Amino acid sequence: MKLILTLLVFLPLLGAALAGLFGRRLRDRASQAITTGLLFISCALAWWTFYQTIWGGWPAHAVVELLSFIQVGDFQSTWSIRLDSLSAVMGVVVTSVSALVHLYSWGYMAEDPSKPRFFAYLSLFTFAMLMLVTANDFMQLFFGWEGVGLASYLLIGFWFKKPTANAAAIKAFVVNRVGDFGFALGIMTVFWMFHTIRFPDLFPQIAAHAGRSWTFAGRSWSALDLAGVLLFIGAMGKSAQFFLHTWLPDAMEGPTPVSALIHAATMVTAGVYMVCLLSPLYEYAPQARTVIVVIGAVTSLFAATVGLAQNDIKRVIAYSTCSQLGYMFFAAGVGAYQAAMFHLFTHAFFKALLFLGAGSVIHAMHHEQDMRRMGGLARYLPITFAVMTIGTIAITGLGVPGLNWGFAGFYSKDSILGAAYAAGAREPLGYFAFVVGTAVAGLTAFYSWRLAFMTFNGPPEWARADAHAHGHADQGAHALSDHATSAQIETHAEPDETPDHSHSGDHGHDLKPHESPWTMLVPLFVLSAGAILAGAVFMPHFVGPWREAFWRGAIFVGRNNKVLDGAESGPSWVGLAPLVASVAGLAIAAYYYLFARGLARRIAERGGPLHTFLYNKWFFDELYDVVFVRTARWFGGLFWKGGDQRTIDGLGPNGVSAVAAWAGRGLGLLQTGYLYHYAFVMLLGVLGLLTYALTVWAR
Amino acid sequence: MGLQAIAFYVLAVVTVASAFGVTTARNPVHSVLFLILTFFTAAGLFVLLGAEFLAMLLVVVYVGAVAVLFLFVVMMLDVDFASLRAGFARYLPIGGAVAVFLLIEMILVSGAVAERGAAAHVKPLSGENISNTEAIGRVLYTDYLYDFQIAGLVLLVAMIGAIVLTLKHRPGIKRQTVADQTGRSVRGGLQVVQVKVGEGIAE
Amino acid sequence: MDLTSALQIALPEVILALGTLVLIVVGAFGGEKSTGLVGLGAGAVLVEAAAAACWGPMGQAFHGGFVADAAAQFSKVAIYLMSAVAIALGAPWLRRKRSAKFEYPLLVLLAATGMGVMVSAGDLISLYIGIELQSLALYVLAAFQRDDSRSSEAGLKYFVLGALSSGLLLYGASLIYGFAGSVRFADIAAAVHAGAGQGVIFGLVFLICGMAFKVSAAPFHMWTPDVYEGAPTPIVAFITAAPKLAAMVLFARALALGFPGATGQWQQVIVVIALISMAVGALAGLVQRNLKRLLAYSSILNIGYALMAMAAGTEGGMQAMLVFMVLYMIDVTGFFACLTALQRDGRPMERLEDFAGLVRVRPGLALAITALSLSLLGLPPFSGFWSKYYVFKAAIAGGLWPVAVFGLVASVPAAFYYLRILKTMWFDEPAGATDRTPGDASAIGMGAALFSFPLVLPALAALDPLATLAARAFGLA
Repeated sequence: MKLILTLLVFLPLLGAALAGLFGRRLRDRASQAITTGLLFISCALAWWTFYQTIWGGWPAHAVVELLSFIQVGDFQSTWSIRLDSLSAVMGVVVTSVSALVHLYSWGYMAEDPSKPRFFAYLSLFTFAMLMLVTANDFMQLFFGWEGVGLASYLLIGFWFKKPTANAAAIKAFVVNRVGDFGFALGIMTVFWMFHTIRFPDLFPQIAAHAGRSWTFAGRSWSALDLAGVLLFIGAMGKSAQFFLHTWLPDAMEGPTPVSALIHAATMVTAGVYMVCLLSPLYEYAPQARTVIVVIGAVTSLFAATVGLAQNDIKRVIAYSTCSQLGYMFFAAGVGAYQAAMFHLFTHAFFKALLFLGAGSVIHAMHHEQDMRRMGGLARYLPITFAVMTIGTIAITGLGVPGLNWGFAGFYSKDSILGAAYAAGAREPLGYFAFVVGTAVAGLTAFYSWRLAFMTFNGPPEWARADAHAHGHADQGAHALSDHATSAQIETHAEPDETPDHSHSGDHGHDLKPHESPWTMLVPLFVLSAGAILAGAVFMPHFVGPWREAFWRGAIFVGRNNKVLDGAESGPSWVGLAPLVASVAGLAIAAYYYLFARGLARRIAERGGPLHTFLYNKWFFDELYDVVFVRTARWFGGLFWKGGDQRTIDGLGPNGVSAVAAWAGRGLGLLQTGYLYHYAFVMLLGVLGLLTYALTVWAR
Repeated sequence: MGLQAIAFYVLAVVTVASAFGVTTARNPVHSVLFLILTFFTAAGLFVLLGAEFLAMLLVVVYVGAVAVLFLFVVMMLDVDFASLRAGFARYLPIGGAVAVFLLIEMILVSGAVAERGAAAHVKPLSGENISNTEAIGRVLYTDYLYDFQIAGLVLLVAMIGAIVLTLKHRPGIKRQTVADQTGRSVRGGLQVVQVKVGEGIAE
Repeated sequence: MDLTSALQIALPEVILALGTLVLIVVGAFGGEKSTGLVGLGAGAVLVEAAAAACWGPMGQAFHGGFVADAAAQFSKVAIYLMSAVAIALGAPWLRRKRSAKFEYPLLVLLAATGMGVMVSAGDLISLYIGIELQSLALYVLAAFQRDDSRSSEAGLKYFVLGALSSGLLLYGASLIYGFAGSVRFADIAAAVHAGAGQGVIFGLVFLICGMAFKVSAAPFHMWTPDVYEGAPTPIVAFITAAPKLAAMVLFARALALGFPGATGQWQQVIVVIALISMAVGALAGLVQRNLKRLLAYSSILNIGYALMAMAAGTEGGMQAMLVFMVLYMIDVTGFFACLTALQRDGRPMERLEDFAGLVRVRPGLALAITALSLSLLGLPPFSGFWSKYYVFKAAIAGGLWPVAVFGLVASVPAAFYYLRILKTMWFDEPAGATDRTPGDASAIGMGAALFSFPLVLPALAALDPLATLAARAFGLA
């Protein structure tokens, strides 16, 4: 078991090291083969581990200690691999999606000149993510947390010659720093309270400290809630929740496989995973959970509304991810951790599917990402069309209520909303989450189908000769949209790197879309299967009747927490509501984009206030720009020019050095070269020393 | 207050006054003469202390050799003393202040020496029937042999230094070589030449 | 004590004196042709004297006027060997300058004799005579290139100011004698202990002033930059190394043996001198563009450090001072050896601009200068770091931590001027080709650089216990 776990975690690191350090010597194909091969092995091991942990003979909770990390007093941290149902599930999700994305990238990145680097980063990311999910203490969790952040930064900025990609990478890094600051404070709070950062030592202590409070600034703060909220701030950064979400849409500057792996399936769910892992803490921190519910619900609503008005195919999916993460958080917030994990699990499949499908479309369209210039692609990309439709059905949660059979999202979304409704019986906030969640289900359906219809149906906009020529002109209609749309065409900034895909040079090039190669299609098939079946197969285990046997204590549920039982026994309309909303969304989208074509475009071009508001993402970027960026720059300028340059440098280094130079020149002037001056200075010295001695010794 | 005391005060006043004269005299020759006077009166003070050998030494060495050498140097060197003294007035205030301060402090110190100095109570070594000179001679070549020898080395350095810094072997300058002079013979030094009319002597 | 055993104790000085006399005769009869022979002989005499000092008997001779103890032994070996190095560095240089004289090694020998007398001084008379013997030889050496006006000027300035300092020193010595009734350090110590009062301390201030001149501590440092600039480079290398060690040891001996009862008093005066030296050395060095002047200020700064260690007034302080001086001596000799080796168009390279881009012209010497600069700067693991480490440790242990802090602050501007040399050598455009470098000076420079790292590490293992032993001879706590 120890060997299997160690290999499972470290094979990706091996791949990353080989491809990263020896990539030039190994050449493209060997690097790809090594990293992908190792990841498939790792994936197989993960599934085996998953099987053994849940149904096999492996213990419910096992820790493989590898090396000591930091050992200072109570602050004990060890490199270790923690195995329980949670980490087993995450291991499966991470390695599966990662392996498929590796394979997919063979086709997608075929034209890229620095493939070894790309695959090394991907494998490095996978390793960091596995370290994160198998952490047995906060320190290793933090290590993994930062490791995935680093890999994310590297991959968003993978096309580093593109200024927008660099900006996006920096933005992702900086916004995550804000979250990490909270996270670090949370870890410190935990350590301060419990004198340990090891999960096995920590969790049993929590119940005893439930009521403890901490007086700060004249007010009494519940210490556990404080720790919970601070840790959740970290999760908000990583999982792109409201206020700290702005980096995720921009992160779409990275290659599409990266978006699928990191910004949809795995890294962004780290926050959700952490909240579920810390369920023993959050169960005793009701106020922190309230915060989680509110933030989660608001995020899901906000992101869904913004998703309605976006034209970039990847951005729509990115906002969708943001919204679905909100779902997971409020599920965890109301106490349905299992439901959150379940949605995380299913979401990984269908969201990765959607992203990879979108990648397939983009690939086919020669890196065109604007949906307004697509249309009618169903004829040219039948397979992509099929899998995208599957993904869309899965995300909108369509199913047959009577038979209780549907696609993945059907189950997970239902269980979340049911749990929220059931939680409402205890605290009204649950009803709020339920209402928001149901509305969001409708919005999700609308924008998801809108995406599908705009891309695959209707007249082929791309065939119009002037499609590209007027592309930017018609974007000019949206005066505020520059930064939102400027990066929509990936290749524009790097025509040198992918000359075959460049269409900025020759417009006469045959733009006819082409179906993707098999390396890209195979992952799509696998993920489609997951999107269809994951819900139905795993529903009973994750949230259903067998959940106790499945989780085996990995998720702690308080004695009063009957949310999941309530979800099953709730009124039947609760179960139907999301489906109804979803179907309604589908119908409206079909009306606008299939039957009354042009209506939507006219609305968009008229640019009503609501559309403008949504199109510009509630003006969050502008708000942050004014509130944080500009003020920070102003303060920075003030401190830099006024504080540092004038005051500190002026009085400090520069002042001191000026005084030193002045004194040096003065002493140099004394050195006149005249003998009697020298003799005089000597006599002065004698006089001074004598006088000094007289005064000192006269005491 | 006996005769000895009167002699001491007279000599002391003259010593200080003439020392002051060394530094203030406008004519450098006068300065050197003042210096000689200082040495003389200092020798007189030594005599008063019963150190007649030192007094004689002072007169012979300092007056007889050093000061006279000074006098020669001052008179032979064409030094523009007026320009050397140009800064005198400029530096007088600050220099004077420093001098006054030093003087006050030294007076304080000297007072303390006169009062409590251990050497004030040391008996002179001159015994019953040993002269001053003999007493010095006895310790100089026994107890202080080491210092004496090292002092000899100091003088050696001075000599070597003087030679190194001044002796020049200039080519083309005729020097007297006694051995050559005495070793000279008629055959080597004299040549009889028949001179033809109107031709002169060609070497 | 009979004369034979006294001479045995003073054997190193006897060897030096007799050797000098024999070599004078050799030189006088051999003329210019014998210069090389006299140089070799002087080197041999120095090595022999060092050996005699190393393995000779210990004790006092000549009524306490000569002391042979561990401190004298330690410093004599160092002084004699450094003097031999000075001959090895200077004689070929003078030959290249076509001003070779057989007196050069003789003067170095006599100066070494004087230094030996200084470090063995047991009373005020041998103290003074030793200083005079050494100084007089150095004055002549400074003016050795008598056709160079700057050299003559340097010698004259050195001489006149030195005479002034001798006057101060003598005045102090006579005051001390006046109070204590004896010139011997042991008797003076007894008198001070018995309460000879302030007067003797006054004499001490004058004595300190006179000796501060010899170690070129501020404010008695004024001669240093001019002499360093004017005197021939290999002779500066000599002046800045061994005589400083001798003067420091003498300084320590006079204070520790003569005035152990007034430690509190002289400590305060030494601290003031150390502080002024560090300030002057660090600040005035900033504006110097002539490397020899720069090193003059650097030596003032470093003497400040050594005085700081001595001011601690403890055995540890003396040990630190000895280690510091020996390591500094090697560093600075190496530095001057590098300067000696470098010439451009027959003129010595002294200004900072001359060293621009040296690393591309003379990589070996540039590297040596780099190592020596870093060592003077006090960068670990170079020898300068260890010497400073000793000094600061001793100062802090002696309760002088404010002085130590000041010393650390002073090392910052000093770091600037050392680093500026490096910057000029490594990053500026080359100023042109240099003349062929002579093997002897380059070898000494590179040897010193090698010593500064890594040879210093094993050397320190031997130096530390020896210096401890030597420091014990000062009889401080």
